[in-house]
Amino acid sequence: MDQFIEQIVTGLSIGSILLLVALGLSIIYGSMGIINLAHGEFVMLGAYAAWVFHTYLGLGLLASLVPIFLVVAAFGWVIERYVLSLLNNRPLDTILATWGVGIMLQQAVRLSVGSELRYVQLPPALSDSMDVFGIPISSYRVFLFVVSIALFGATWLLMNRTPVGMKLRAIIQDRSVAASFGINAKRVYALTFAYGAGLAGLAGALVSPLKSVSPDMGTGYVVDAFMVVVLGGVQSLAGTVASAFILGELSGGIAFLQNDTVAKAIVLLAIVVLIRFRPEGLFTARVRA
Amino acid sequence: MPSHVPNSSGLQRLIAQLAPLLIVCAIVFALPVLLNNDFLLNKVARYLVLGILTISLGLSWGFGGILNLGQAMSFGLGSYAMAMALKLKTVPVHTGASGLPDFMVWNNVQHLPWFWEPFRSLSFAIAAGLIVPALVAAALGWFMFRGRVTGVYVSIITLATMVVINLVIIDQQSYTGGFNGITDLAQLEIFGVAFDAYGRATYYLVASCVLLSLLVAFAFTRTKAGLIVQAIRDHESRVRYFGYDVALYQIFVFALSAAIAGLAGMLYTVVMEFASPTFLGVQLSLSVVVWCAVGGRQSLVGAFLGAVLVAGMQGALSESAAFLETWTLVMGALFVLVVLFLPKGLAGLAQVVWRWIVQRRQAASGRVAEGVGQTEGSA
Repeated sequence: MDQFIEQIVTGLSIGSILLLVALGLSIIYGSMGIINLAHGEFVMLGAYAAWVFHTYLGLGLLASLVPIFLVVAAFGWVIERYVLSLLNNRPLDTILATWGVGIMLQQAVRLSVGSELRYVQLPPALSDSMDVFGIPISSYRVFLFVVSIALFGATWLLMNRTPVGMKLRAIIQDRSVAASFGINAKRVYALTFAYGAGLAGLAGALVSPLKSVSPDMGTGYVVDAFMVVVLGGVQSLAGTVASAFILGELSGGIAFLQNDTVAKAIVLLAIVVLIRFRPEGLFTARVRA
Repeated sequence: MPSHVPNSSGLQRLIAQLAPLLIVCAIVFALPVLLNNDFLLNKVARYLVLGILTISLGLSWGFGGILNLGQAMSFGLGSYAMAMALKLKTVPVHTGASGLPDFMVWNNVQHLPWFWEPFRSLSFAIAAGLIVPALVAAALGWFMFRGRVTGVYVSIITLATMVVINLVIIDQQSYTGGFNGITDLAQLEIFGVAFDAYGRATYYLVASCVLLSLLVAFAFTRTKAGLIVQAIRDHESRVRYFGYDVALYQIFVFALSAAIAGLAGMLYTVVMEFASPTFLGVQLSLSVVVWCAVGGRQSLVGAFLGAVLVAGMQGALSESAAFLETWTLVMGALFVLVVLFLPKGLAGLAQVVWRWIVQRRQAASGRVAEGVGQTEGSA
């Protein structure tokens, strides 16, 4: 029984990291239809920003979260403005363009900071462990879980209870009609992309104490996060949450029964089959075209 | 490749379209005369093989509209088919007691697994290197295109499938050599000709395969099926309303492209003298897309040259780590620029320049009215 609970908790922990990374991707893909292959690099930038703030400015991880969000969001804004906005209505080409941007970001970091592994310290207040259902678990992982849920909540509010969110939803429904009502679609898109990028940066900063920071750390995340988005359904934030935890539990569970490689392969296969039979994702209500 | 010379006869048009292809192949065949360096020749052969792989992607992406992000899967399967056969031909010193491949001995495998058995025959291996990728692609194509999966989702499925196969190969170390791949191979020998990776024979083998794949791909794009495939790329549902079985044509071009990629994979094993899971890795697979886009996805020769030039450049700069890093950065920028401003790649640019030259010349030779009218009409 203990082992079972331990598995569940491990799954939740994997799931919360997945959710952190996937949330930004989900916003960008769901609202702009852009498959952002540079998303992993935004995660990487966030992690490096955490390292830079810590090493050169002596800021702790928690204190630097807001500046990190802003820095990576600025990157996202620039990229949307000068690359992606030129590619309206060419969805396949945005995959290629964002991938090229990703390579550039990765190389720029490699050239400027070097490709050695970097380490970010756990916040001292969260470096001990606590008991959850009688299972000892690192407080930082509990913190991650709480933060991921909180960020989801904030994003949901932003989308559904603010003017910007309303404009974005209007554009998703019909861009030209929204524009004729005076909504500046370009600006909203740039802001959306920046917000998604900023979320990715936060995710990178938050996972940086758990993993080593390297220029190519993002590559693994983008695939996983993408699977979360596809499974959850394109325009469904709640679906993203559900699928992040489902995938977390699944990978945790199968990895426990078999091994990591088999877990990954099975999850990927399941997603391939899902795309074939339910491309709109598991949790999307059918919407009007 | 649309025609730009409406008045000339079909034969002339065919020659005009074949000319770049034949010129490029002539250069490829003539290269050993100029390059008297076996090491360099081996490198060039490697880029040519990557060129064949890129031709195969150009066929499915540029002509079929199927952006296969897992093109390296077919490449890797071909490469392993060849490596398995060559591994079984190594001299027994390297292969453990009962003729087992060395890595199987290290992994305590007692008997040769059943699926390795037929690879004792080289002809079986060569056939498998073409047919297995084609069959896998056909099955995957059937799975996707019968369900009318299109666009981005095709890319995701192909990418994910490749990653799965890659993971399985790495995981099943005792049967596949795992992470290290299959190394220590014998030389390929066909009809008494030994293909040393650094020898002329191998180079000419690769060059002939370049010519063959270009011709096969070109011929396919000229057939009725090839035209329908291009029509599907441009407007899928319209072709469906005409009563064509869209999925069937898509499956066919997908499988044909996989077979060509399999051929490239087999040659790659011969040139590199090993097979490795990186041959069906995400990195290579995405690089192929870059090469294809830079060269020109809707031009077979363009795709081929894109691969040879970009991969060759990368190889030439890889002598120095700092150069290579900077080059990768420049590569990324170049790629973004091509995607943004040159959707038809360098081949598209060449076409525009060529048309401009022809126009100028016609204007100069006094056939202004007729010539300009024609070219603009077809542009």
